[in-house]
Amino acid sequence: MLAERGSAAKPIGGGIDAMLYPAPETTTLVDLSGAGLSYVRGEDGLAIGAATTFTEIVESPLAGKYLGGVLIEVLEKVASPLQRNLGTIGGTLGSAHPWSDVIPLLLALDAALSVYDGRQRRLPLTEYLADRARERRGLIVDVRLPTPPETSACAFEAFGTTGFDVAVLNCACFVSFDAGRCASARIAVGGTPALAARLPAVEESLIGRPLDEDAVGRAAALAGEAIDARDDRRATAAYRRVLADVGVSRCLRRVAERLRGTK
Amino acid sequence: MTITLTINGRRLTLAVEPGERLSDLLRREGFLGVKIGCGAGDCGACAVLLNGRAVNSCLVFAAKADGAEVVTVEGLEREGRLHPVQEAFLDEGGIQCGYCTPGMVISAVDLLSRNPDPTEGEIRRALSGNLCRCTGYVKQIRAVQRAAAAMKGGGPDA
Repeated sequence: MLAERGSAAKPIGGGIDAMLYPAPETTTLVDLSGAGLSYVRGEDGLAIGAATTFTEIVESPLAGKYLGGVLIEVLEKVASPLQRNLGTIGGTLGSAHPWSDVIPLLLALDAALSVYDGRQRRLPLTEYLADRARERRGLIVDVRLPTPPETSACAFEAFGTTGFDVAVLNCACFVSFDAGRCASARIAVGGTPALAARLPAVEESLIGRPLDEDAVGRAAALAGEAIDARDDRRATAAYRRVLADVGVSRCLRRVAERLRGTK
Repeated sequence: MTITLTINGRRLTLAVEPGERLSDLLRREGFLGVKIGCGAGDCGACAVLLNGRAVNSCLVFAAKADGAEVVTVEGLEREGRLHPVQEAFLDEGGIQCGYCTPGMVISAVDLLSRNPDPTEGEIRRALSGNLCRCTGYVKQIRAVQRAAAAMKGGGPDA
């Protein structure tokens, strides 16, 4: 039905966005909640079915064990409990709101999506987000998170006026270590107010260095410069640059603490 | 279109409009304990249990409830006795104007069905999608603590 009706048909998980932001061209909604896509499985890391609600992810022991529980830490604060019982991870990615807390986290975790558009294929979340108009024609089947390297950690930070309000800016940092130095890094910042994006310049600044105060300070300052900051009714671009600096430094310090904790 | 669902234990077949909200359907069918506050998923006054989990019924398409089990605040009493959470809200004065109360009670029932012994923090988090504009949340939190104690069999003063 989705293939036949093109843009007139839209898949829904919880249906929250279809309810709140109805698109005039959409005349058919296809509910995926009965399609067997609610699961969290440990397959080469983690596979999370598109129709899995945030509550189901938070209650999953497998998701809880992933990378020190960072998924739970973030997802148990997304929206409200009433919305988390309804909203799905696939729905969030299909809507891809720039203020999403989920997207920077998944970018930092190097998520890939299984998408079905006549055949099933796997593509990085970055690619899906870069060409959403085209990719949205495909149906998100699940979200794949790779098995993280042994010495790695991730942290997330969001700034909002209240806990429930959408973030003025959010960021997530993942770092893996080899012999005490950063072997890989993924830094994603969202709500700038553009859609969350990775910051390659910041990531490169960390490679090969120990994650000390000097490296954290440099990376954070770079993040403040690198984001696509603009003014909107929530905050000014200048304020967002400061938040990106503070957010990235907090995340990186927490990553360093977490790694010390695992040693 | 026509859907079949269970509301408060009764199986019903109902005609719904394509874009209709579950909250509007329930109120149309006489379940007026479902309150419409914001209509945008922020206030929680329209909360119902959908297949056992508390959700904003204003965010659910009625058609999506086909085959589902829905419990509204009216469905919580058993044989003329209020649910322990309802009793506790009365006893603790956790009710001001009453508009947010059905949603609060539904969220508390969902919490206690999974976590019979919640901490205060867990109660606060579980009620965080239900806004009270009258006074505050202290009495509601106490009510949930009282209900948890009562449901464990310790009686209301345990």
